[in-house]
Amino acid sequence: MYLILALLGLPLLTGAVFFVFDNLKIKYAFSIIVAAIHLAAACLVFSGSNVPDFEQWLRFDALTKLFLLILSNVYFWVMINSYQYLFFSPVAKPEKSRKIFYNMTNLYLFANTLALISNHLGLYWVALESTTLCVAPLIYYYRDKESLEAMWKYLFLVSVGIAFAFIGILFLTLSMHGTDAFEKGLYFSNLIANSTKFNMIWLKASYIFIFVGLSTKIGIAPMHPGEVDAVSNSPSPIAALISASLGGTALMGVLRMLQITSKTPVYQFSQIMLIVGGMASLIVTVVFMFRLNNYKRMIAYSSVEHLGIVVLGLGIGGIGFIGAMFHLIYNSLTKMALFFMAGNIHRNYKSREIHNVFSLLKDLRWTGILFLLAFLAVVAMPPFGIFFSELMIFQGLLANGQYVLLSAVLFFLLFIFIAMSRNVFKMMYGSTKINEAEINQTNKPFDEKLNITHLSTAVILCVLIAMGLFIPPALYNTVSEIAKSFNF
Amino acid sequence: MENVLNILFCLSLLYLATTTRVDAYLKVFVLQGILLFFIVIMPLINRPSVFTLILPVTILLVKAIMIPLYIRKKIIIELEVKRNIESNLQQFNFLLLTVFSMIAVFISSNMLAKYTYIDAIPFAAAFSTIIIGLYIIIFRKKLIVHVIGFLVIENGIFLLGISVASEMPFLIELAALLDIFVVVFLMGIAINKISSTFSVDDITALDELKD
Repeated sequence: MYLILALLGLPLLTGAVFFVFDNLKIKYAFSIIVAAIHLAAACLVFSGSNVPDFEQWLRFDALTKLFLLILSNVYFWVMINSYQYLFFSPVAKPEKSRKIFYNMTNLYLFANTLALISNHLGLYWVALESTTLCVAPLIYYYRDKESLEAMWKYLFLVSVGIAFAFIGILFLTLSMHGTDAFEKGLYFSNLIANSTKFNMIWLKASYIFIFVGLSTKIGIAPMHPGEVDAVSNSPSPIAALISASLGGTALMGVLRMLQITSKTPVYQFSQIMLIVGGMASLIVTVVFMFRLNNYKRMIAYSSVEHLGIVVLGLGIGGIGFIGAMFHLIYNSLTKMALFFMAGNIHRNYKSREIHNVFSLLKDLRWTGILFLLAFLAVVAMPPFGIFFSELMIFQGLLANGQYVLLSAVLFFLLFIFIAMSRNVFKMMYGSTKINEAEINQTNKPFDEKLNITHLSTAVILCVLIAMGLFIPPALYNTVSEIAKSFNF
Repeated sequence: MENVLNILFCLSLLYLATTTRVDAYLKVFVLQGILLFFIVIMPLINRPSVFTLILPVTILLVKAIMIPLYIRKKIIIELEVKRNIESNLQQFNFLLLTVFSMIAVFISSNMLAKYTYIDAIPFAAAFSTIIIGLYIIIFRKKLIVHVIGFLVIENGIFLLGISVASEMPFLIELAALLDIFVVVFLMGIAINKISSTFSVDDITALDELKD
């Protein structure tokens, strides 16, 4: 019971109470405490503590445990670093946005946790929609034209997408008509147990609507624009939250649907849809990577790419599925590191354009080095974790005999690597067309001190290497338990 | 009787396809809210109780009173929205598209009803509402009309929920209504900011972000 209070009650209460307070430092301190308690509770749940399920409303299977840990971990790091970005903001300090920042992040934590642990499809839908509502005001943090447009597009696209997912839920009800599962309601446990009796045509229709609707929020092609705009125009902590944790929450719905279809003839069709979604994301990323001139957008597109790979892995099944689970974990860590460092760059250079950032390794030594390392992690260099999870997904492709698909994926990944490294190395070493005197006027020489963002990024990168070389047994067991629940 | 209400709902969609006034869009939305109220309350008449009345009354309150009042006050009056909706499709073509889509939906749902558990008329009414809502978003330019299009889709989904007899737990229905209200609330604020920073209020203003 106390675990539920720590996971749901505390964030909700804090978020609500914060509307009365105004002192940012107190809010920061309390938010860190809430995040730490949430992380501790998530770890306890992960290690198998007993949690009440409130008459089947909540569900704590292996899938929930893993996703809850990912969310809690991301939120904890984001909270610790948020203060740096709020107080040394790259644009004039937007007072109004700062006031609601911690209120909204706490409410976001509540809504997101609820979405992950719910056992009822309707409850999941409501909670998922609430996460959009909590995040939207935070995207508009800088209060400029771009962030306003990004907020509108995100809010509108995702709301329409989630409305489509609701149509999918209604179709699922239609497919249950006439079976005894219909009386028991839309509980995941009920749906998964009885799915073989459902009407397959409506189940297929339901899968299409839910997958397409939720993919606006997962951020995979062709429904990615809202997500990319939102991630690239919000402040770094929020960008990290959206791209490292919110995508996973939306993916949870697709995974539940996959679990429901896994014993039925619709399963093959749902796998094909996942593979198509994954490949489309890779193609879109290749095309746009070469045209980008904004480094935050570059990271946002890299997020499209990696969630595409995850979805591809899910579609392949078998070892590819296990690889996809690990990929999701590693991707969430890497995206945090990248966005924290991108935030530091934005703060110092006051620009998101790639051609305004140069000789990063010389001017911002710590940020430069860590950004370079995070970049190496995200393009799947060994010994970073992503390398191993991608290898597993490739293995899955090979085991299925999908040689053409494998070569296409490798081809796309190569070109994404080329495009990204071209941009990143321009930022690391390149020089500028503006002459030296002008630089000295506009940008005073930076004297970067080591601060908490560097330390946490370094820790995250170390964890990423350690997890790549040595997978903790508890994690491995949970992932294999998940794979078992999908009949692999 | 329920079929009559559903047909009325479809007629309101045809009116949406012919009118060019923002005001009229809002009025149709109010009408749809009231129709939804009656559609929900109809089966409950035989067994009236306070508890069963909460949901229909909330629907009436949110969809026919609160949201329209909010949109009227916050956006149409404050921003002095011009009366004409701007469209990138000629009015007559829009009507044709609407009519043909509705005919197609009605025929196909009639066919579907033969071998699955759906009522042809409510299902078709719901699905045409969703499609017309999408058309409004695609072919109209004004942001406020987009919001109304989104609300029309939500109405369609609600109708679909009734037609497939999906019994969501009561609290979840209420929470979903609250979610929709907050979405509209945030969209209203966003439109207000957009028209003050971009000094136009249609979709053509939003082209800063691209690759």
